[in-house]
Amino acid sequence: MTDSVAIHTDELTKHYGDVRALVDLNLDVQRGEIFGFLGPNGAGKTTTIRTLMDEIRPTSGSATIVGLDTHTDSVEIRRHIGYIPGDLAMYPNLTGKDTITYFANLRGGVDWGYVDSLAERLEADLSRKVGDLSTGNRQKVGIIQAFMNRPEVLIMDEPSAGLDPLVQRTFQQMMKEVTANGSTVFLSSHTLSEVQRVADRVGIIRSGHLVAVEGVQELRSKAIRRVDMYFDGPAEAAVFEGVGGARDVEVRNHHVSLSFDGSMEELLRAASARYTLMDISSQEADLEEIFLTYYREEV
Amino acid sequence: MAVTLTNVFTKTSRDRWKSTVIGAVTLGALLFFGMAVYRDIDVSFWDDLPEAFRNMFGIPQGADVGGLAYGAIYSGYGALTMAAIALAAGAVSIAGEEKNGTIGLLLGDPISRTKVFLEKAGSLIAVTAMGFVILWIAAVAAPVILDVDIGSMNVDALLVMMFINALFYGFMAMALGAWTGKTSVAIGVTSALMVVSFIAVGLLPLIESVAGLARAFPWHYFTSSDPVANGIDWGHFAVLAGGVAIFTAVGVVGVNRRDLRGQSTGTKLIDRLRENPITHKAAERFAGTARVSRIWVKTASDHQALLFIVSIVLFVMSLMIGPMYNMLDDTMARLSEQFPEDLLALFGGGDLGTPEGFYQVEMFGLMIPVGILAVTIAIGAAAMAGEEKRNTMGLLLSNPVKRSTVVLQNTWTMILYAVIAGVVSFLGVAAGSLVGNLGMDLVNVAAACTLATLLGLVFGAIALALGGATGRTTVAIYGSVGVAVITYIANGFLPLNENTEGWARLTPFHYYLSSDPLNTGMSWGNAAVLVILATIGIAAAVALFDRRDLRTTG
Repeated sequence: MTDSVAIHTDELTKHYGDVRALVDLNLDVQRGEIFGFLGPNGAGKTTTIRTLMDEIRPTSGSATIVGLDTHTDSVEIRRHIGYIPGDLAMYPNLTGKDTITYFANLRGGVDWGYVDSLAERLEADLSRKVGDLSTGNRQKVGIIQAFMNRPEVLIMDEPSAGLDPLVQRTFQQMMKEVTANGSTVFLSSHTLSEVQRVADRVGIIRSGHLVAVEGVQELRSKAIRRVDMYFDGPAEAAVFEGVGGARDVEVRNHHVSLSFDGSMEELLRAASARYTLMDISSQEADLEEIFLTYYREEV
Repeated sequence: MAVTLTNVFTKTSRDRWKSTVIGAVTLGALLFFGMAVYRDIDVSFWDDLPEAFRNMFGIPQGADVGGLAYGAIYSGYGALTMAAIALAAGAVSIAGEEKNGTIGLLLGDPISRTKVFLEKAGSLIAVTAMGFVILWIAAVAAPVILDVDIGSMNVDALLVMMFINALFYGFMAMALGAWTGKTSVAIGVTSALMVVSFIAVGLLPLIESVAGLARAFPWHYFTSSDPVANGIDWGHFAVLAGGVAIFTAVGVVGVNRRDLRGQSTGTKLIDRLRENPITHKAAERFAGTARVSRIWVKTASDHQALLFIVSIVLFVMSLMIGPMYNMLDDTMARLSEQFPEDLLALFGGGDLGTPEGFYQVEMFGLMIPVGILAVTIAIGAAAMAGEEKRNTMGLLLSNPVKRSTVVLQNTWTMILYAVIAGVVSFLGVAAGSLVGNLGMDLVNVAAACTLATLLGLVFGAIALALGGATGRTTVAIYGSVGVAVITYIANGFLPLNENTEGWARLTPFHYYLSSDPLNTGMSWGNAAVLVILATIGIAAAVALFDRRDLRTTG
């Protein structure tokens, strides 16, 4: 591990009785990157985050954040991080401003000019009581308190829950800006389009096991592509199903569409041997398809 | 499991049966305990007591061992406990679903508000009845097993009256909750009426000129007919049952007439002051920035309403006891000669004919410790368990604060508030002594208030430790209150029998009640024991909270 690593886990394991929520997680998140942490419900995302935050203690293994042990140095670590828990709850009888003030006091001061600018960008109303806010507006308060100290590392569990698309865009822009300034973002999310848009790398976790860690671009380029072909006459599915790497073949008269991770040359040969190809388009799979593929294959 | 989720009735019963069963089983066990202690002592002294006093305890003329046990355990503590449990269940019936934000989901199903209310009302009746079946079994089994002759005592009548009495307060809380959507209003108003009427029905008949006023208090219709001796007074039963019927109607109208509340905490006076440009600055300082400056300050802010109410009650009651003593002076002097010391030991002893003894029995015996315990246990239980229940502990601890800091800062507030409640009690008693011209020794009063404060801290620390260990508010509250009730009663009963006398030293109440500080001044030894017990509890809370995983309720 070097100084370039923001978050490091070493065989991190958490059992709840017989339930193995997290098994031998080895992960390095680099400084200055946005790391997307993906997985279906109950895969172990929140368990990982709560272990990193010292809310729960690992059954075995260990983790560090900015080189400090997440358990023994947990108080010191918290001077360097911003955090949004999943299923964010705050004090309903405090206003947004009270909430921010409370946490600012616990952290030893805050730049109110920065808080105001964050609130303005997110269109957050800090004068109302948290209990009176909608889910999305409450989430904005959570985002502001996580960003307000310009933390070195941001750990966020489903931070965009309830945010409208416009605010989501603003939030994504904010994440990019802080990482451009050297901060690190650890982002657990179900909003795959968001992760695809902002993350440099993603880790995919399933049933407590980390099944893949890769750059978003590499993942997409390696993954299945969506291919659409148009012919001068009706086509038959069997012609394409025989090509290695083709699946989910759909034929609608002149139009054939399929998922493909084989040799493009072989596919073209098979197609042009029988029909005249009028048009072809090929798209990189989006993260959602990759994500679904991982789960389909490994379930 | 699936059967219990068939409808609102079964779901509510499933959520509520535990506290009723725990309460009933505890009372049943205490009945055995009380009867066993009484069996071995001479109880003839009860016959010499004035009728008014026996009525307060619900103890019939010529009562023997059984009568005493049923009177003290069932019609006194038992009736209060069962009514309080029904009250708590009633208060959350509608208002609790609103507070949890589940009422919208529930009413998203094709079921009317009226039906929801009535099914919850049915569940309250059924669950309360279940508790009384347990009490009945204990009432029948105890004399047989202990070989005690209960003569012609009508236990069934007592239990029926206790049952309708409990439902009265349960339905009142339910109606208030349905009408306002606020559990705090439902619990506050109903428990205030219950406690005031319990005390009024005990005290008013002692003063001839105002004895008739007791009829204005619902508790009168439970105890005054002496059901264990005379059977059910159907007129009194009808008054309480009529109350239940009226509350049902009020509840149905109440829940249908208004907008349902969300999880919003509502707009309070202080919120309006913060919005008003004229008062904005001052209100902001008081309610905004200042109250979130530190963890302990926020805790203090969260509990200030409770402290305020408890302080008012303790001050006013302590003040009123002074002049009341003068009104009762002669009666008390006569009473005190007949009064068995053993019985007075339950309240810390004392001579009722003296102001000190009267204050000991009326205020320091039960009221002041209950008031202070309410504050310390509420803070102790909310400190960790409450924060975890609301899912805010993770966010709080994402700040650079140690877990031990969270425990200790809450402890400071608990100590501060216990001291305030103790000082207010002192001021009330001092004022009462002044107004009644009783000439009590104020240093001794301060000593008694100090011991009461320390006792409160012991049980607050127990709640803190239980919350720290488990993260569950129910465990923290029921656990500490349970220990308080059992040790209080044990401390009262154990000394009645020579063989068990020494065991009373194991209860914290022994160190609060045994030294008669109003007459003899401070017992530093007892104070030291209470300080040590509280310190152990706090240390345990720090250690237990530090070593475990935080809970999430999600």
